[in-house]
Amino acid sequence: MTLAVPDASKTRDPSMAPLLNEIEWGEPILPRVADPEWEATIKRRGAPLGEAEQRVSPVKWIREACLWVLTYRAREIPERLSTMGAMVAAQEVSCRYCYGALRASMKMLGYSESTISRIERDVRVAELEPREHAFVSLCRKLARSRPRPAAPDKAALLALGYSSLAVSEMAFLVAWGCFHTRVTVLIACPPERFFERLASGPIGFLVGLMEPLLRARTRRRHLAQLPEPLDAAALRDGIFGPIVATLAGLPAAALLKGALDEAFASGVLSRSVKALMFAVIARTLECRHSEAEARKLLTAEGWDAQEVERALTTLQSPKLQPGEAPLLAWARDTVHYQTGPIQQATRALCGQIGQLALLEAVGVASLANSTVRVAMLLE
Amino acid sequence: MIDWGLGLAGLLLLGLAWQWATERKRRRIAEQLLATADEKLEDMQRKFERFASPDVVERLTDTADAYTPERRRVTMLFADLRGFTALCDQHDPGVAVKILNDYFRHMSLAIDRHHGHVTEFVGDGLLALFGATEANPWQERDAVLAAQAMRSELALCNVSLRARGLPELRFGIGIHCGEVVAGVIGTAGLSKFSVTGDPINVASRVEGLTSQYHVDLLITEDIRRALDESFRLRVMPPALVKGKTEPIQTYYVEPDAPGPGVSPR
Repeated sequence: MTLAVPDASKTRDPSMAPLLNEIEWGEPILPRVADPEWEATIKRRGAPLGEAEQRVSPVKWIREACLWVLTYRAREIPERLSTMGAMVAAQEVSCRYCYGALRASMKMLGYSESTISRIERDVRVAELEPREHAFVSLCRKLARSRPRPAAPDKAALLALGYSSLAVSEMAFLVAWGCFHTRVTVLIACPPERFFERLASGPIGFLVGLMEPLLRARTRRRHLAQLPEPLDAAALRDGIFGPIVATLAGLPAAALLKGALDEAFASGVLSRSVKALMFAVIARTLECRHSEAEARKLLTAEGWDAQEVERALTTLQSPKLQPGEAPLLAWARDTVHYQTGPIQQATRALCGQIGQLALLEAVGVASLANSTVRVAMLLE
Repeated sequence: MIDWGLGLAGLLLLGLAWQWATERKRRRIAEQLLATADEKLEDMQRKFERFASPDVVERLTDTADAYTPERRRVTMLFADLRGFTALCDQHDPGVAVKILNDYFRHMSLAIDRHHGHVTEFVGDGLLALFGATEANPWQERDAVLAAQAMRSELALCNVSLRARGLPELRFGIGIHCGEVVAGVIGTAGLSKFSVTGDPINVASRVEGLTSQYHVDLLITEDIRRALDESFRLRVMPPALVKGKTEPIQTYYVEPDAPGPGVSPR
C-alpha cells in the first residue's frame, strides 16, 4: 500500500484543519462494484455516479444513505450556506474525497478562489456575515467535536435569529455530512479528480454561468423526492427514537429513521455488535443520551447491564461472534482520527473480517458518529 | 451650457473613478494585511504546537475555553532511560542529544497512537498523560497499550543504535491513575498545560521501582482493575515508597502475548 504523505515542512499545525493538498490519503480499500440497477437509480434521482456510490453499492442501506447525502436539499438554510458548511466540515475531518468535491462545487456556485481559500484557511477571518460565521463555525465545531458543542452553541444561533427548526437542520446537515465523510475516509475512496479539474477550468466557469438555472431544476427535482416530515410521536418509538424525534418537522427525520432501521435490520453484522459500536462512539463523545439508547437495544438482545458495562470498559466481549471481536476498539478510533493511521487500521480490519463485513462496519461506525452528533447539539 | 454640463459630468465621473480606485487600493491593502495576519497566526500556532499538544492549542486559540483548572481523572505514564547519564559521559554531546531526540520521537509516536500526549521531557525522562485534555473512558488501557508500543519502538531504536556501533537503550515505565488538578500552570511569562496532585508522585515512584525490581514496566492496582484478561500481569511484592504510609501493590506487564489471568510471581 502507498500513502500520499505531504511534505512535513510545508504542512500546517495539526490543530488546524488541513488544506486539500495536506491530507494523507491511501489506496482504496474497497473495490468498485458494478451494479447497473443501482446506477440507473442514481441517474433517475438526478445524482452523479461517483467513486463512493460504486464502492458502497453491495450494502443496500449504506448506498441509499450515501445517495441521500447527495440529494438532500435543506429547506431552512440557503443552499450556498449549506455547501460552504459541508466543505468546512469535510475539511475538518480530513476527507480528501468530500472536501475536494465540495470545494469544486463551491467554485461552480460562483465563489472566487480567494474567498474559498480564506474560508478553508481560517473561517474566523473570512468575509462572512455574523449569521453565516456562526453557522460555519458550528459546522466546524460539530464535525470536530473536540471539545464537543453544547447548549450555549445552540443558544448563540437562536440569538442570531435562526429558528429552532433551522438549527435542527444544521445539526442534521453536519451529522449527515459526517456520515458520508467517514464512509469515504474509512474506505479511502479515491478523489473525484476529473470533477475537481473541470470546476477549476474554463468548462467549470461556463457551467458556473448556467449554474443558477441548472441548480433550480435539480433543486426542484430533489425537493420532490424528499420524504414527508413525520411528527415527533411517530419518530419517538423507533431505534434511537428520542434522538430522531429532535428532527421532527424536517424530512431529515425520516431519512435518519430509515437509515437506522435498515442498518439494524441488515444481517451482515449482528445487532449486538452494532449496538455496542453505537455505545462505544457515544461514550467517546460523552453523549449519555445516545449511550442509553444503545443500551436499550442491547437489553432487547439479551445483554444484562454488567455484560454491557464490561464490554464497554474493555472494548471486547465473549458474547460477540468471533469475527466481530476487533470492531469495538476500531469503532472508537473512528471518532477522532488521523487519516493515514485510520485507513491503515481499516485495511488491516478488512483482512480480518472480509470486504462485505467491513463495508457494513464502516457504515455502522459512520452512522453512529452521525447520530451521536445530532444528539449532542439537540439533547 | 452643454460644455459646462459635459465638463461637470466628466469631473463627476473622474471623481467617481478616483474614489473607486482609492477604495480598490484600500481593499487590496486590507486583504494583504488580513493575509499577513492569517499567515502570522498560522505560524504562531505551528510554533506553539512544539510546546503543547494539538488539542491544547485548539482549545486555547479557537475557543473561549481558556482551560479553567479542573479536577479530573487522568492516567500518568512516567518513562526514564536507564544508564543514559553514563552514555552522555562517554560520547560526544551532539551524539548523545541525537540519540535522545530519536528516542523521544519514537516514544511520542507510540503514545500518540494510543490517545495520549507527552506533556514534558525532563532530561532523559518523559511524562505522558491520558485523559487530561478530554474525557477518555479507556485511559488506563490506552496507557498500558502505549507502554507496550513503546517497547516495540525502543527495539526499533536499538536496531539503529546497534548498526551504528552505539550502546543500546533501556527504560523503566511506571503507570498510575487518579484524580488530579489539570490546567495551565506557571507564571504569565512561562506556563504550560499540566497536572498536579498526589497520583503524579505515585506514578513517578512506581517508575522508580522498575530499577529495584529489574523490570521495564510496572502498573498499580488502580490500573490493573481497569484491564481485561488479555493483559498478562505478574504480581510484584508490595513496596513502601517515599511519601506513602502504606506499601504500594504493583504488577509487571509481560510483553505482548495472548493468554489470560494474573499469575503469582
